[in-house]
Amino acid sequence: MRDAAQLSSRIPVNLFRTMKKYKNDLILFGALLMVFFAVIIWNLFTAKPGGFVEVKVDGELITAFPLSNNIEYEINGINNGKNILIVRDGEAWIESASCPDGLCVNMGHIRNTGASVICLPNKVVIEIVGDATDDASVDIEVGQ
Amino acid sequence: MQETQKIRMKTVISAILISLLAMLSAACAAGTASNNAEQIHTASGEVFAMDTYMKITCSGQRSEEALEAAIAEIQRLDALLSVSGEESDINAVNTFGKAKISEDTAHIIEKALEISRATNGAFDISIYPIMRLWGFTDSEYRVPQKEELESELEHVGFEKPIFTQDSLELGDAHGIDLGGIAKGFTSDRLMEVFDSYGMVSGCVSLGGNVQCYKRKTDGNLFRCGIAHPMYPDSSVYLGVVEVEDRAVVTSGAYERFFIDESSSKRYHHIIDPKTGYPAESGLSSTTIVSKSGMLADALSTACYVMGLEGSIEYWKEYGEDFDMILMTDDGDIYVTAPLAQSFTSSFHVNIIGE
Repeated sequence: MRDAAQLSSRIPVNLFRTMKKYKNDLILFGALLMVFFAVIIWNLFTAKPGGFVEVKVDGELITAFPLSNNIEYEINGINNGKNILIVRDGEAWIESASCPDGLCVNMGHIRNTGASVICLPNKVVIEIVGDATDDASVDIEVGQ
Repeated sequence: MQETQKIRMKTVISAILISLLAMLSAACAAGTASNNAEQIHTASGEVFAMDTYMKITCSGQRSEEALEAAIAEIQRLDALLSVSGEESDINAVNTFGKAKISEDTAHIIEKALEISRATNGAFDISIYPIMRLWGFTDSEYRVPQKEELESELEHVGFEKPIFTQDSLELGDAHGIDLGGIAKGFTSDRLMEVFDSYGMVSGCVSLGGNVQCYKRKTDGNLFRCGIAHPMYPDSSVYLGVVEVEDRAVVTSGAYERFFIDESSSKRYHHIIDPKTGYPAESGLSSTTIVSKSGMLADALSTACYVMGLEGSIEYWKEYGEDFDMILMTDDGDIYVTAPLAQSFTSSFHVNIIGE
């Protein structure tokens, strides 16, 4: 009984000593963990499905498509570079590209407002803007 | 025992009879419904007139006749109201300084002058000589000299032409053009044509000026997609407005403009009658929703010239006749309160209160 009591009283002291030794590391680790969760929670609350995808080449707006559409569009980047944009099921992505690194293809599918895919060699940017609306179907166009 | 069986038989027989009756009446109802559906035809046609492309759709028992009458009416009004052509009242006034005008032309002039007075000259049919200087009348675009504009501006003003019931005199003005209101008048007339042929539904687009007659044939409201000034040629809309029996007209700098080669500056076609230069009011698109096509047509231009504050002030005074959807150069959207319920957009929308 006595030994057990001694043992249990010794553990916190050891733990405390260990903690003191790595105090700064623990603080850093804790701070990083908090930032990590804050970012995840922030994304959960602010990520909204977007309404349109904008296509820009060398900073200039070329065109835009509603995410509710299903389209395939060839983007003419600079230096005759080509990127194939696909819009389907509320998502947009670069299916294939003439650029050597193919990073834009690997950047995957985007759907939330503010998300973008960038192809540096062709200077192509696709970006999600606006908010999704319930129904994009229209009977007649005004002002076109 | 036998009693209960009898009762049960009675119930079964009456149940069968009732269900037969129900089936029969259902069949009858379906029959009449399909009969009605057979009688309603939808006709649609396209026509080039008033320097633009027009689409007409109407549904009813005599839709083909209505469509034919609508196209004939468009062509008649085009000849009557254009700035050129022998049959044109406007050409006659501009050429001879004074001319007798038809009832239709007089009606438009009267309404145009009324809107000019109310908007304090933001809409003005006597702007024609300025439009000609810029080349917007014949697509021979150029940037006029400041002195040219200043001397011509002295002959611009809605109070200058002298209008009496059946004649119009230029007075001190150098020319008039009904381009900013003629399409609205025409779509109003097409609604009357649809009415006289007993149409149940219809919709016209006169180069982007839309007017809907009643509802769609399926009973739903017409969904009108308003062009986004940043993406005018795509299927991305500034927003969608649902209407019945309304004209929806949008004005924007993106519709018609030219880029001056020497300065690479962009000049658009909505000229401020006060300055003679393209309006820079801070708005990039103005949409008017109204029962009157003529009012919607003229006000979409006037509001573009008046800007956000001016348009809101105007709406607060005359808002019983129209509603509006405005977009600023920064991309903010403003919609008047009564229309807010029927307007959906992917972008941020501010509501203009009463």
